[in-house]
Amino acid sequence: MNKKTFKHLSTPYLVWLYVLAVVPVVIMFALMFIRTEGVTIDEETSFTLSNFAILVEQSTIVAFYNSFKFGILTTLICIVLGYFVAYRIYKSHFGNKFLILTILILPMWSNMLLRTEALGNIMEPNNIISNLLSRIGIDISVNIKGTDFAVLAGLVFNYMPFMILPIYTALEKIDPSVEEAALDLGVTEVRKFWKVVYPLSSKGIITGSIMVFLPSLSGFAIPEILGKGNIFMLGNLIQQKFVQMEYYYGAILAIIILILILGSLVIISRVDKEAETLL
Amino acid sequence: MTYPKATLQEYGFKDYSKLKKVYSVLSKILVALIIFALYLPILVILIQSINSSTDLAVFDKFTLKWYVEIFKHDTLTDVILNTLLVSFCATVISTVAGTFIAVGINALPTKKRQRLILLNNIPLLNADIVTGLGIMLVFSLLLPIFPYIFGFPVLLIAHVFFTLPYVVLSVLPKLKEVDPNIMDAAADLGVKPYKALVKIVVPAVKAGIFSGMLLAFTMSVDDFIISYFTTGNGFDNLSIWIYGSIGRKSLTPAVYAFSTLLTLFTLVSLLISNALQKKGHRRKRI
Repeated sequence: MNKKTFKHLSTPYLVWLYVLAVVPVVIMFALMFIRTEGVTIDEETSFTLSNFAILVEQSTIVAFYNSFKFGILTTLICIVLGYFVAYRIYKSHFGNKFLILTILILPMWSNMLLRTEALGNIMEPNNIISNLLSRIGIDISVNIKGTDFAVLAGLVFNYMPFMILPIYTALEKIDPSVEEAALDLGVTEVRKFWKVVYPLSSKGIITGSIMVFLPSLSGFAIPEILGKGNIFMLGNLIQQKFVQMEYYYGAILAIIILILILGSLVIISRVDKEAETLL
Repeated sequence: MTYPKATLQEYGFKDYSKLKKVYSVLSKILVALIIFALYLPILVILIQSINSSTDLAVFDKFTLKWYVEIFKHDTLTDVILNTLLVSFCATVISTVAGTFIAVGINALPTKKRQRLILLNNIPLLNADIVTGLGIMLVFSLLLPIFPYIFGFPVLLIAHVFFTLPYVVLSVLPKLKEVDPNIMDAAADLGVKPYKALVKIVVPAVKAGIFSGMLLAFTMSVDDFIISYFTTGNGFDNLSIWIYGSIGRKSLTPAVYAFSTLLTLFTLVSLLISNALQKKGHRRKRI
């Protein structure tokens, strides 16, 4: 029996992906050029290029600047810290590395908004931790809620597991004898890391960066809760315009984010054809 | 005439053992700090769930009343049930469908397979906000025909949409490991292809199916942004409800209690499954 018997099982999925992933892009593309409320089309609807004027509005430019600033900073910090944690777990002598990894991602199981809100609470000057600590004589108080640092910390610690996991998967796939060979040939530990381990795990870094960069660039809950409304990012703008039913605004911004995503899809398909590090 | 013996240093040996010790201590501290930072919000949630005061900034005294409140609160119970209903249905649908889709993808020739995997990655890599907005736009075209489509139906479709790729990607690598000869063996013994698929291939990849199912459920329960855009008609899940409550500054500590329960439940089930696995391994070795 040939396994090709089953190949038509994937056909409905192709249709499904086209309807739910490609059709929306077509609609968004159409919405870029017409001005309507919602998606209703009537006699007054006409072709226009005036929608693109939003791209030079002050709020859009600020949103773009903030999104890229926080997206890039979050990704860089996550690469450094996430690689470090993944590498330490990979090198550790614990018998059950899977368990350590699960403990690391366990916080992800509780609601993201709730975690962000809890983090926001302890960023205020009067909070439950400082209240408890003051009873045992330690007085510390921080007041960083609403600052750039607060949003950055929130983004980094929320998305860090997405960086650790792919890097760990990539590290795990390295044949240990390659490292031994490098040491036998007389390189130092540091050079071995830069010349052997790091290039072999770069696949994981690329996947992880995309998994961290895109959501931190486009999310709106973390900047809204931790930034107290001071920090306005692309996600906040799209969400605001969605509530106001100005879908064309969201459509233009979504198309721009999509271009970034298509870029990352191309990168992923180059470095990881079978999507092995994505999970 | 005697020559002084060359020392190791003269041969170019550099003693890094002290540096290594410092590095090892520092790196342990850093890892501990990072793990602490990851758990800090969980700790705060735990403390707040046992705090009798509704003031989030003051710890009054120990109480378990919020754990009882979970079942008494009029809207919290509803949204928890909604969340579980959507996630449960979405997980079942995407686990079953995803397994068969993965079998289909695995049977494709290489070029076609890689193209489909690329498409499959779209929901996975796409920014949630774009996925949510996109699905909302597609179904708002259907609004004139089905005016009440937003809410449970679209929410379920959206959740199936973004959980399917996780199942597909978890099952695919396991399918590659399945010995193609066992299907031939089944055929030789006169089993029809689809019966062989269910009786032989599915059990062989059940580890992948299980991990895909877990991932799908996790992603579905925790989702906020896609749900936010695709729900409607008053159908809220936990995330949307929490978002609304934060906005109104009316978050009841019962949510913290619920979250703590959930974390404890996950931790305990993980530890149990881990212990069981170890037992299984030991038995195998004997």
